[in-house]
Amino acid sequence: MTRRPSDFLAASEHVSRRGFLGAAAAGAAVAGFAEDMTVLDVLKNPVIAAEIKKQQKHVILLWLAGGASQLETWDPKPGRPTGGPFMPISTNVPGVEISELLPKMAGRMQNTAIIRSLSTGIGDHGGGASLMETGRRKEQGLQYPDLGAIIARELGRTDSQVPDYVSFYTSTEGRRKGTSGFLGARFAPMFLSDSMIPPNIRRLEAVSDVDHKERADLRALLARRFTQGRDSRNNVLGSHTSAYQRVRGIMASEKLFSIDDEPTAVRDKYGPTQFAQQCLIARRMVEAGVPFVKVARAWWDSHGQNFETHQELCADLDHSMSTLLDDLQERGLLKNTLVITLAEFGRTPKINASLGRDHFANAWSTSLSGCGIKGGSVYGKTDADGQNVAEGKIGAGQLFATIFKALGIDHEKEYFIGARPLPISDFGAQPIDAVLA
Amino acid sequence: MAADPKQLKLAKNVGSQGIAFGLDRVPESDRIFYGSSDFKVYEYDFGAAKPVSTVFEGEGHQSYVTTVALAGKTVVSGSYDRRLVWWDTETRKQVRVTKDAHGKRIRRVAASPDGKLVVSVSDDMDVKVWDVASGELKATLKDHKPMTPHNYPSMLYAVTFSKDGKWLATADKVGHIVVWDVATGKKLKTLESPAMYTWDPRQRRHSIGGIRSIAFSHDGKLLAVGGIGKIGNIDHLGGPSRIELFEWQAGKKLHQLEDAKYKGLVEQIAFSPDGGWFIVAGGDHNGFISVYETKSGKLIKQEKAPMHVHQFVVNEPHDTVYAVGHHRLATWELKAPAPKKDEAKKDEAKKDGEKKK
Repeated sequence: MTRRPSDFLAASEHVSRRGFLGAAAAGAAVAGFAEDMTVLDVLKNPVIAAEIKKQQKHVILLWLAGGASQLETWDPKPGRPTGGPFMPISTNVPGVEISELLPKMAGRMQNTAIIRSLSTGIGDHGGGASLMETGRRKEQGLQYPDLGAIIARELGRTDSQVPDYVSFYTSTEGRRKGTSGFLGARFAPMFLSDSMIPPNIRRLEAVSDVDHKERADLRALLARRFTQGRDSRNNVLGSHTSAYQRVRGIMASEKLFSIDDEPTAVRDKYGPTQFAQQCLIARRMVEAGVPFVKVARAWWDSHGQNFETHQELCADLDHSMSTLLDDLQERGLLKNTLVITLAEFGRTPKINASLGRDHFANAWSTSLSGCGIKGGSVYGKTDADGQNVAEGKIGAGQLFATIFKALGIDHEKEYFIGARPLPISDFGAQPIDAVLA
Repeated sequence: MAADPKQLKLAKNVGSQGIAFGLDRVPESDRIFYGSSDFKVYEYDFGAAKPVSTVFEGEGHQSYVTTVALAGKTVVSGSYDRRLVWWDTETRKQVRVTKDAHGKRIRRVAASPDGKLVVSVSDDMDVKVWDVASGELKATLKDHKPMTPHNYPSMLYAVTFSKDGKWLATADKVGHIVVWDVATGKKLKTLESPAMYTWDPRQRRHSIGGIRSIAFSHDGKLLAVGGIGKIGNIDHLGGPSRIELFEWQAGKKLHQLEDAKYKGLVEQIAFSPDGGWFIVAGGDHNGFISVYETKSGKLIKQEKAPMHVHQFVVNEPHDTVYAVGHHRLATWELKAPAPKKDEAKKDEAKKDGEKKK
């Protein structure tokens, strides 16, 4: 297996990963981007906007927290005892059917691939979430970064004035903050749990902008002196400094988190639910250069009344996801934005006594839309009742390798902790080329 | 033999074809018809020597059969497939299918006492009145909102006729109740039962409750609705079963009863003929059947059911309950005990004495 050069965590970033700044044609404009904190205003500059669209890739992860049912979404089993009451519907891709609960998505499958053969083996919320967030099982003494942190590191820009990893999780059940693990705090998520706008990002009125800049300069001076003579590969020091460097940019990005500036017609398209509005903010962030946005919609854990739950939540997913895909497409962003639906696991084919479905990690589904994806493709197959994977069984590692490859990230790339190589995909995991463009 | 709610006890308990959701019964018999999760309608005679579930023949349904209603010799079934199918009870064959009877899933059908009308309710939030003989749609009644206050699709679960056939009552997911005049289709009264709407705005941001059952007292003065109370963990049906009683014409709530011992949804309610007590049944992972005194709201008798009960009907003397549920069919009896021999003789002697006087 051919490996790329070692990528030590504390080493300076590869220029190739920071292609945005290296783009000579847009160089002057990019300097303006860095100076001006009002990112969306900067995006009005067509040169910069075009360059961002051209080069940067993004991920929007729609996290269906609690575990959505594959039978009521991407892998219906009509007429089977396990199938439930909902019928399959044809999509705009001949031969591909999904649940009738996703009618809008059924008309937009040309940009979406379905994987129906996830078999991940962990059926508890904490363990399942950890596995599907990091793409591998936990390892004693080593904290792996989650997908958002890896994408932030691989696709983020060193001088970005916007966050690299934003995570919305406003329900309280099953809330997990995400982790940047050994990548350090620089790639940790901006975690929004109480409001769609980050709290405390406004400058205090008592502190003038000049004072604020001077304070930042003083802090930077002290930090530089502190780090002089210390190990330059010390990740903690690096994280600490970079976090401060980004504060001013984030303080100026409040507008990113507000949909008030969006035209009424756009807001109306997304609609009034919180999930839809968070999807709209995710689009704004992608447009402004944020590499990874996670929007968690809780809580799909339908042990009781699975069908009532999915009628409610699938309506939200179907409308929000299809509107998001349309919006990205119309803005020319979809080809560079990968939209993923994922959860910690799926749900049991067996229907329990309160018409619920329980946790099920043996055979379940995910979807990938947009960037690098072969639209309309379906990979893997479950048996007649959805109990087992019949064809194409994959685990979390292969899914992550697929995501990386779709984004143009070397799925065999390694990080190093000291001398120990740690591949960004789980050991030996290969991408599923059948769903890649 | 008179009914005595204190004597409530399980009499029969057998397996069903699939999950049995809705039933109706042939008057003065032990024959029931039920709709199943296998998309079919069955007949089952509890009184037969060796009863079996016998399937009805025809094109039928393409999804769960959630409800059936007997109108004369016609069974009308409704389904998640939006169809109404009309069956002949004697031949057990399909006589008519009304495709696209509703725009969304059909939750319940109810037959008028004279058997001339059938009413269906659906998640399209329409109440539709059908002529049984012709299958013609006679009226569409609208008052239930399609979206919940939190902008999610609402659901219209419950419908019932009054015993005299004059009124119709419907109830939905957010606890909105409407009483209609059957003759004119006019709305007579609305009531609200917001506690039945179990929206959880903080932990899980969804709801699974709603009013699932509704019944008039035989004199038409009382209206009872059933569902579930506040759910701590909305992943499960982990809230108290809940009943609310109204003097509907006055808009006055008489009782709101919650039972934390037997949790889950109240799926069906039936008043005794004199209105003195009423039966409820439903469940969560388990099932229950309970009898309450109407005036006081006190629990008279309660039993764990062998399944989550989806629906029941009661016979004419009100001493036998026929129920369907999660893969099971069951009956309960509430028969007053026969008087002992000595007491019977005393009664006879007393009667003789009265005659001589």
